[in-house]
Amino acid sequence: MATETAPGAPSGKLKGKSGFRHSSAIRNAAILLVAWEILGRFKLVAGGALPAPTEVLVRFWSDRGDYPAHILATFQGASLGFLIGNGIAILAGILFAISPLAARLGRGLNVAMFALPPIAISPILVLTFAGMTPRVVLAALGCYFVTMSATVTGISQTDRRMLDVVRAYGGGRFALLRLVEIRAALPAILAGLRVAAPAAVLGSILAEFGGGGRFGLGVYLIGSLGRADPARLWGIGLAATAMALIAYGIFSVIEARITRSTRAVTVAATPPGRRAEGSRLSSIAITLASIALPFIVWWLLLKILGTPAMIAKTPAGVFDYLFIAASASSAQSRLLAALGQTLPMTLIGMAAGLAFAFALALASVVRPGIVRSFMPVALVTQTMPLVALTPLLVLLLGRGPSVILWITISVTFFPAFVTLAQGLGMVSRGALDVVRAYGASPWAQLRLVSIPASLPYLFAAMRLAVPRALLGVMIAEWLATGTGLGNLLNQSRGYLDYGMIWTVAVVSVLISVLFYQIVILVERHVLQKHGMQPAA
Amino acid sequence: MTSATGIKLETVSRSFEGRGTVVQALDNVSLDCPAGSFTALIGPSGCGKSTMLRLALGLDEATSGEIGIAGMRPQLAAKAGLTGVAFQDAALMPWRSVEDNIALPLNVLGRKRADFTAKITDLIELVGLKGFEKALPGELSGGMRQRVAIARALVTDPKVLFLDEPFGALDQILRRQMNLELQRIWMESRATTLLVTHGIDEAVFLADRVVVMQSRPGRIGRIIDIPLARPRLPEVFTTPEFHALEDQVAEALDGH
Repeated sequence: MATETAPGAPSGKLKGKSGFRHSSAIRNAAILLVAWEILGRFKLVAGGALPAPTEVLVRFWSDRGDYPAHILATFQGASLGFLIGNGIAILAGILFAISPLAARLGRGLNVAMFALPPIAISPILVLTFAGMTPRVVLAALGCYFVTMSATVTGISQTDRRMLDVVRAYGGGRFALLRLVEIRAALPAILAGLRVAAPAAVLGSILAEFGGGGRFGLGVYLIGSLGRADPARLWGIGLAATAMALIAYGIFSVIEARITRSTRAVTVAATPPGRRAEGSRLSSIAITLASIALPFIVWWLLLKILGTPAMIAKTPAGVFDYLFIAASASSAQSRLLAALGQTLPMTLIGMAAGLAFAFALALASVVRPGIVRSFMPVALVTQTMPLVALTPLLVLLLGRGPSVILWITISVTFFPAFVTLAQGLGMVSRGALDVVRAYGASPWAQLRLVSIPASLPYLFAAMRLAVPRALLGVMIAEWLATGTGLGNLLNQSRGYLDYGMIWTVAVVSVLISVLFYQIVILVERHVLQKHGMQPAA
Repeated sequence: MTSATGIKLETVSRSFEGRGTVVQALDNVSLDCPAGSFTALIGPSGCGKSTMLRLALGLDEATSGEIGIAGMRPQLAAKAGLTGVAFQDAALMPWRSVEDNIALPLNVLGRKRADFTAKITDLIELVGLKGFEKALPGELSGGMRQRVAIARALVTDPKVLFLDEPFGALDQILRRQMNLELQRIWMESRATTLLVTHGIDEAVFLADRVVVMQSRPGRIGRIIDIPLARPRLPEVFTTPEFHALEDQVAEALDGH
């Protein structure tokens, strides 16, 4: 059975290897710290924008009275959102796993929730809700897709033979869920929770950027951005990172305790939904319903909440603002100008991030040493609320367009690299041995085996990168450059231009979904041609 | 349906639709296993043995024809707790201990575990796993896992027992041992047994009748009676009668 591991057989060997990896990771970290200290002490980077670790620590100590209230506030928002978001996600995942129809109907909602850049809806949430609610909602949204898709994957990958045993004794749908599927999906669900934990921290911090509340690490970060105090900004950034890392670590431990098996580091970026069955007509109806559902939910939520129509725009309200109202043409031209700035940056940043990731992942096949020393860094960075640390990058890179590119590259590079390196690591030894037996050079092996085999992972990385790239660009525009969609959103927030706030939110979600769908279409076409399956 | 606890298939067909093609997995198969009999199904891969078993277990629906397990529809017989099953792979749940795995059918059927404590202890002893009650499947060898699966198949005192290549993953030596054990268990319980196997010697050694199947489309080729007296001892493997029967089965497999 694939899920069972032979008792202890290979573990002795692995232990030695991971011990080696541990020491080399510690050595790398030490080298990094010393280099950082030197750079900081002599103010070698951007005129002192990168303070030395010791300076950060000293500052952290003198700020120690401020931190508890901020950390507690962020923790409250993140943990409540984590509980609610994951609760909904697991229930939804179970529903989607057992009902193909529900999965197909929910696809539109799921894609929208995966693709929406949290920053785009944070002003709306701040306008619509009071107090902690915006943070809780964004934290919950950050968790939802990860855990939902992990649940679906976990349940649908349950060993069929185990299901057969239960069904052979007349077990029904409920018995299958209770006795097999939920337990079999537990490792996958826990892996989802592990990735969701830092996402919840990130969600809470992003909502704090949008305003509201006196406390929270995001509030503290924004508040300190104006003061020329790099050491404090770095202290806050490190505190946020530590929070995300601890959350990640706690769930890693729980997961390791329960599963005692290898853990996946990547997250599924495919919404559930199986091959269409039934007539063409019903399949079109289901697709249309799935597209309509997010709009219906949007409209319903506003009706239920009873927010005044002036503030809360329904789908019709947004349409009216953009196409019918007297100010429509001005709104259109402002929106188009912003899009003209944001879209090229998103595409360039994403392409560069993916290209770097692909190149490094391939290089790591030829020289495995690269991946061994780099993977720990990449994994840590994945849990870092990188986008929330934009103020640090602003400090380092200034407010020019280059900061947008760097932020976008950095938020797309790491997840893409982890996905690709993992995919390349799974290339079958047998396939490589065949070409090696004919004396193929490392590059010939890459060309003949590794690159074609990594195709599904390249697409998986692209799917992951799409929403992140747009999020990165918008955050950088909002906080640093004052251009594009991010700035339009921030300005409209200042002018209380509710129509534009909603329009930007809707447009950015639509763009993200559109890009995502294009990737999926190309992926389907290319992989089908090559007879391959998409990677989760 | 005549047999109270037998297996009966009447003109059963099952076809699968692939991409534009229809694969006839089972074509018009009729088979009657009387109560208390031991029947072995043997045949090349793709001859529909496993399909037949899945139909009889109610895991799959026939395209046409009737299947009766103890005179009931397969799913009803399963819900009534009349059947027991062991698959080729032990299909144990890695998170359940040996005794919890054996108790799984009780969970499904909603029976009280407490009433079966003694039964489970006996079964563990029967399959030679005493001392491993609390072990997890991951801590057992392949042969031990398979024995847990056999114990699980017997926990409900099934009247009808389905075995789908239960020893397929074991080495020849262990397989012989398990065959002897299985014969002993069967002679005690006298459950109607249907064994799917790839091994000619295993089929001849265990069964009252060997049903030889042929592929494309999956159908029954010949039925060979095995008149060897019981209990059959290990020595029987080397007798001329045994070899003659093996040859008959092999010939039938070749399509003669």
